[in-house]
Amino acid sequence: MKMKRLLILAFVSFLIPSLLIAAGTKESAADGVIELSVYHYLDQTDKTTAPNFQHLVDVFEAANPDIKLSFEYGYGESFHDKLQTMAMSGQLPDIVLLYPGERTSQVTSAGLVKDLRPYLSGHEDEFADMAMQAQGENGEIWELPEDISITSIMYTNNRLLAELGLEYPKSYEELLTQGPVIRKAGLIPISIANKDAWPMQSCVAGMLVERACGMEWWDKALSGEASYDDPEFVYAMEIIKELNDKQMFSPGTNQLAYGQGLDDFVNERAVYLLDGGWTVNSMVGELTDEQKTYMSLESFPDIPNQKGQSLSVSATAGQGFGMNAKLNEKEAEAAWKWIWFYSGPEGSAIRQQYGRLPAYNLDEPEDADPMIKKLIAFAGKVPMGYVMDSVIAAEPIGTFNINLQNMMFDTMSPMEVAQDLERMVSSVGR
Amino acid sequence: MKRSVTIGKILAYVLMITFTLLTVVPLVWMILSAFKPHALIVRQPLAPPFTFYIENFILSWTQGHLGIYFLNSIVYSLSATFVTVGLAMSSGYALSKFQYRSGRIIYGFYTLGLLITVHSVIVPLFIMETKLGISNTRLGVILPYIAFGLPFQVFLATTYVKGIPDSMQESAIIDGATFLEVFVKIIIPVATPILSTMFIYTFLGNWNEFILVLTLTSDMMIRSLPVGINSFAGGMSRDYGLQFAALVIGTVPMIIFYMIFKDKIAQGFAAGSTKE
Amino acid sequence: MTYAQQKHMSYWILVLPGILVFASIIIFPVLFSFSLSFTTWNGYGMPTFAGLENYRTIISDPVFLHSLRNNLLIVVISVFGQIPLGFLLAYLLHRSMVRHGNFFQTMIFLPITISPVVVALLWNQIFSSSGMVVALVRSFTDNPQYVIRIFEDQQLAIVPILFVLLWMHTGTYMIIYYANLQKMTPSVLEAAQIDGASENQMLMRIILPSMIGTIATTAIFAISGSLKAFDLIYAMTGGGPAHFTEVIAIYMYVNTFKYYKYGFGSAASIIIVLLAVGLIMLLQYFSRRLERRFE
Repeated sequence: MKMKRLLILAFVSFLIPSLLIAAGTKESAADGVIELSVYHYLDQTDKTTAPNFQHLVDVFEAANPDIKLSFEYGYGESFHDKLQTMAMSGQLPDIVLLYPGERTSQVTSAGLVKDLRPYLSGHEDEFADMAMQAQGENGEIWELPEDISITSIMYTNNRLLAELGLEYPKSYEELLTQGPVIRKAGLIPISIANKDAWPMQSCVAGMLVERACGMEWWDKALSGEASYDDPEFVYAMEIIKELNDKQMFSPGTNQLAYGQGLDDFVNERAVYLLDGGWTVNSMVGELTDEQKTYMSLESFPDIPNQKGQSLSVSATAGQGFGMNAKLNEKEAEAAWKWIWFYSGPEGSAIRQQYGRLPAYNLDEPEDADPMIKKLIAFAGKVPMGYVMDSVIAAEPIGTFNINLQNMMFDTMSPMEVAQDLERMVSSVGR
Repeated sequence: MKRSVTIGKILAYVLMITFTLLTVVPLVWMILSAFKPHALIVRQPLAPPFTFYIENFILSWTQGHLGIYFLNSIVYSLSATFVTVGLAMSSGYALSKFQYRSGRIIYGFYTLGLLITVHSVIVPLFIMETKLGISNTRLGVILPYIAFGLPFQVFLATTYVKGIPDSMQESAIIDGATFLEVFVKIIIPVATPILSTMFIYTFLGNWNEFILVLTLTSDMMIRSLPVGINSFAGGMSRDYGLQFAALVIGTVPMIIFYMIFKDKIAQGFAAGSTKE
Repeated sequence: MTYAQQKHMSYWILVLPGILVFASIIIFPVLFSFSLSFTTWNGYGMPTFAGLENYRTIISDPVFLHSLRNNLLIVVISVFGQIPLGFLLAYLLHRSMVRHGNFFQTMIFLPITISPVVVALLWNQIFSSSGMVVALVRSFTDNPQYVIRIFEDQQLAIVPILFVLLWMHTGTYMIIYYANLQKMTPSVLEAAQIDGASENQMLMRIILPSMIGTIATTAIFAISGSLKAFDLIYAMTGGGPAHFTEVIAIYMYVNTFKYYKYGFGSAASIIIVLLAVGLIMLLQYFSRRLERRFE
């Protein structure tokens, strides 16, 4: 009976306040202040990106006291789940983080966001060309890209290379011969963590497709004049297979959660790391000053019978904010202030300091971190090809990612992976 | 004869100790790791913490906003649990002692509810809640908690009340009591053991629930602990020290709760799982 | 108010609030889902009618068939692993075969309190390529390339998950059986003992037959729980690598929320319900036959 009384006490003390809170309504806006809701992709527990983003918000709010932004964050797969549910139920926030290409095309193609071109007009030249490519069927710009993402950088630990008596390889064959030497020293040749299945596609496959097939073929494949089961494409798949079979990747790469790849590199257990340019953001904080002197950014070496550009990388204009089509004129103006602040000159300068590669053209910063300078220099000199998941629809690419895993486990052949991609792409329409 | 008893005993101990170790070792390792900085966990996963690195807890508590999540978890778990248990008990009484034909149909619906996954209703549910204006509110979380708790709790309540002799109800009715009075004055007191089991079982389920809060809420102020903990597990958040600290914060209160109520849990299960 | 009226009204007062909440939050969306399963719909505009097309695509999809196989393995480990083990543990405790039974009981039941998300993260920390076990083996064998290959085997990748499920849920069954064993009238067993029945005979002839009802009930929960399995697997492997550990609930989740195929995903969730109903009917058929044999 004593417990019963206890339970009743607990009930009264917790239920009543909770119902009161539940019944409470949202506070109304103060006079003259425009309130806007923002949905952003952010891991709030990340030691680097979360405080960095907060700093940007603080700067903006100090400069614009008449605009109040309320943020809502999503992260990983759940970011997209949530975005989809909000869009379907007509609850899209005022400002939303969107992706170029296919990742958020459910939202953009449904006419739920405004075309930003009228707001942008006159400033187009201030951005990298890649960022100003049309995002909609009629040339619309749905989101203002914040960054250029290079997705296939070979981060190189030159100290380890020198210790092993090696140099950065000039050819793919030379890279393969380094494998046994590196492994013998107890190190990982190329660190990459592919449990989540997208890294092998995003950081390796797209780059190899351009190398093996060339940009001309790529454009034909996208328009349907070339097919993904062409021998060139199969050849790109065979290279991944060979890298895997010759144990060039992290052992158990398909069991490693993304981030563990960087961990192995930062702790100098790996000679190379195949990852995107966004990783520089973490490296700024995680590498020691000394490490930063001998870590370099390189392109994957050229492959035999290469049809594409020498030392090319895969790259895409990154995500950025777009605004809800339902906003009235005054709200839209306020929303644009945030979008322009974030992806325009002011925000870009701040983000560049943090190790991002803004889509907005900026002068090279003088006091930037050495890794950031290396990234900017690298981006300036390499030719660029497509990132697969920004040009191919979500379902074919999701299947392709997993098929690459199958290929590494010998449950599929490179030819079958290529054929399956062609079949999927033609069934959903190019 | 005697030898077989000894072998049996040894086997019994081996089995018991294996299961116990499987539980204790990971938990102890988790708690110890929570006191180690990330670098030490990675380099020496088995070493004991040389110093008690409390920063993990402070950082994960503040950066992960675990304080708010913790409070929300308590609010959701308690309020949804009380309503669920109340509704399930009254339904259990009505479905077991009234002998209406509709009772069989209703009971059948609840049984079917046991088979429904949260995922198969989450999209329609979100759309509905948005139309009603209760999405992203505490009420919008508590209502689905109640609904998903009901099938199993109605099952427990119905089987238990069925076991209460009809004579108790009949004599009270002859003395002029109404059915509602019977429910409050006779059924509820007699059913106390199953009530506490239902309470504990529902509470645990609600406390650990993940996917509903994740999709039905977006406002950080009204999210709950499992969602908060999971944000430490994302592929890109790589500080294992923080992750372990968050796991400890999410687990230890439940272990304490369990230690307090474990006898009640055991008693109630006997009552709840008898064949009708 | 007559007696009949009063009874009728009380009945509805007691039963209506629950059924209203239940119907509006579960039954209505399920019906919505059911009708969606015959359509193609990406979330916007009107769904287009597709007949049985979704169902046809699903049952010829090798990924679905592998998921189904994994689900059935989970059913098997639940019904033929967790339940017998749980019973054995309960029986050992009940017959006081070990000292400190109370302590063991507490420990074995403890996993029930831990959220599946936490369990998944914890076991991942132990077994992943950067986890405790791999680090140990690597330092002992001096082989920095070592990884646990079972996770990369199409047929066996599900085994570690089955093991974790066994660990998580055996305690629940143990508690249920233990409690029911305690309720048995001791006089029956004492009488049997006086008659010279051996431990084995008592178990097979008296204890087990009286527990068939309980076992059948728990088996129903085991089956429906197994087919719904999601949280733990999603947080541990996400169905990967390469769909090796996928189950139907994840298959449904990915198609619905990642590829926005709402009709298709609804069809998959309806299949889960149909499977559960089928398996449970099968189970009831067998348990009735068993009971008749003992009567």
